[in-house]
Amino acid sequence: MATVPPAESPVREVQLSALVVMRLIKHSTQVWPQPATGCLVGMDVGAQLQITNSFPFPASNPDNTTGNPNATNPADPYHQADQLALALAAPRAKSSVAYQNEMIKYLREVNVDAQGVGWYVSCSMGNFVNASFVENQAFYQRATGEQTVALVFDVGRSSQGSLTLKAYRLSPSFMAACKENKFTTESIQKSNLRYQDILIELPVAIHNSHLLTSYLHQLPTSPTADTDLALPASLNELHRNPHLASNPLAPNLDNLDLSIDPFLEKTVDQLLDSIEAHQTEQNNAQYYQRSLAREQAKIQTWQLKRKQENALRVQQKQTPLPEDEWQKLFKLPVEPSRLEAMLVGRQVEQYARQIDGFGAVVSGKMFGVRGNLLPGEAS
Amino acid sequence: MGDSHNYLHLARPLAPAPIATSQSSVTAPVSVTLQPQALFSIIDHASRRPADQERVIGTLLGTRSEDGTEVSVTNCYAVPHTETAEQVEMDMDYQKRMLDLHLRAAPKEVLNFYSQQGEGTFPHPAVHLTVSTVAGQDVEANTYISAPIGVTAERAADSCLFIPVPHEIKYDEASKSGLELIAGARDRDDRTQLMQTDLETLERAIEQVLEMLERVSNYVSDVLDEEQQSSTALGQFLLNTLALAPKVDAEDIERDFNNHIQDVLLVSYLANTIRTQIDLSNRLATAAITMGGDTNVASSGGDQQKQQSGERGGERGGQRREGGGGQQQRSGQAGPGGRRGEQ
Repeated sequence: MATVPPAESPVREVQLSALVVMRLIKHSTQVWPQPATGCLVGMDVGAQLQITNSFPFPASNPDNTTGNPNATNPADPYHQADQLALALAAPRAKSSVAYQNEMIKYLREVNVDAQGVGWYVSCSMGNFVNASFVENQAFYQRATGEQTVALVFDVGRSSQGSLTLKAYRLSPSFMAACKENKFTTESIQKSNLRYQDILIELPVAIHNSHLLTSYLHQLPTSPTADTDLALPASLNELHRNPHLASNPLAPNLDNLDLSIDPFLEKTVDQLLDSIEAHQTEQNNAQYYQRSLAREQAKIQTWQLKRKQENALRVQQKQTPLPEDEWQKLFKLPVEPSRLEAMLVGRQVEQYARQIDGFGAVVSGKMFGVRGNLLPGEAS
Repeated sequence: MGDSHNYLHLARPLAPAPIATSQSSVTAPVSVTLQPQALFSIIDHASRRPADQERVIGTLLGTRSEDGTEVSVTNCYAVPHTETAEQVEMDMDYQKRMLDLHLRAAPKEVLNFYSQQGEGTFPHPAVHLTVSTVAGQDVEANTYISAPIGVTAERAADSCLFIPVPHEIKYDEASKSGLELIAGARDRDDRTQLMQTDLETLERAIEQVLEMLERVSNYVSDVLDEEQQSSTALGQFLLNTLALAPKVDAEDIERDFNNHIQDVLLVSYLANTIRTQIDLSNRLATAAITMGGDTNVASSGGDQQKQQSGERGGERGGQRREGGGGQQQRSGQAGPGGRRGEQ
């Protein structure tokens, strides 16, 4: 499912340390359902980007008038909506950049890698492809010399049993289009940009230090396989056995859970949202075309009139009036950007991929359950 | 962690007034809950220390319950320090700044204290955590609270007694999946583990369950062959577990199964259809422009040229209209092609 990045891209693989994974999970689940954003620090080693630490961004924008860093005006009627937009825009806000620089400066003193290598964001069921995401990543890719990735952690799907953490970069063609910041139809035709080209996914690996590995070996896992364990004396003793009860590394069997409907419901909800967004974009485009056509019609009638006038004046031996004035008199409407439409397409593709993956897993589980409950049938 | 230390709960000693906390009227013992990310962070800092330093010191952040008896450590950061033969000095300025920065991001956290492989001599009226990382031995975490004891009046501020308090490392639900993946890397040589897709995780889980079932069934058949001792507790447990299998009619199972499978297939088909539709409409919007020049001012140029291209475009637009209409029917919605036809 991961697209292979082109050979000439500077980063081809991402390696995370276990610490980053844990901090990411912690932060995202703490501020859920708000999106959690933060900065990643690490080092790039050849074509591999190693991420060794992370820290969250302060979510609220400092209110410049009162000087209080945590103030958002609760009397503001758009308080709720702004929170989400603020949180999503945090990585490229000026205050966050200052915060990030300070943090990195201090972290350097304790020997943490001091190179910002990207940012992370949490989402739910894959709804991360929006303009804010793209702008954040463009900001990072422009600023720090192209060695940055965006990590997306999916809270909803990770709680179902398997960790969903992906790394993305913007493709070079999209970055070039971003530089001009024009997403009109002709520029898209020229560059032949499709929505599949916007993001490149990079493979992610997790890496542990030696100390951490020794600590992990020390944690109790499943009970040993030897047969010399003393048999329990009572049922209660079984229930209270610490190896079984509070076992952090016990095989995580949450993903054997058969919960189909909630996943489908949420996905369909988000598909509906995407369709609405797409419809809005279409309406905008059509409105633009209609107003453009109206303007053009007006221009043509004016030109016709001008020509007639000029013919008359030539007859009367007067100088003809200029015919170029229509450019000054009529203002053509500006074409709306097509970026949002492309992002909607990419988002829907993300949902479709997720559903396909989910369908594969669920079909397996369903057939297994069915074969178990109907023992007489040949599966 | 399989901590089975026994703790003798001494009453928490009260500190004298100038160093007392606001909640010091309660003398109940303090218990500490550690979050795994704090522990991982400490381990990470420990492995990054400069070569000449034996220890790493830092600050813990967390929350304290209302009456001060429950402390939960959720975050931490390291503070640089210098060591001499007798004293260990911490850079308090750094500490204050980092606290500021952290509080901006997470305003609910409160100050504690940690050190690795040693004890700090800065008694905050708070919790101390030491993590021993001697190579070759277990990584052990111990928590203490401090209480000043005075040897002489002048040195009262420097000396303190550290009382161990019970601690527990809690792994919450969300971290479990991450922890499993991290632990999957510990048996491999290069200590790396690729991210796994859902199918691979499912496969692994099923394999684990199968292995466990195999072990249990081996045990049961051994007991039946009288090769193993039987245990009533185990038998009872197995009976309870097997009784959890639901008793459902065969037709109900079939019906539910079919319904669920159809739901999943339906949504999958729907998502793919929507994706194709959006793709198609986007492409129609951008591709159709080259065909009809009368409806779009592609570039600002001379008006005469526009007039000519407009006329030509009109012809082509007429031909395109049939194509656009046909496509319109197929796509089933009024896309830009349809709109152009109306114009």
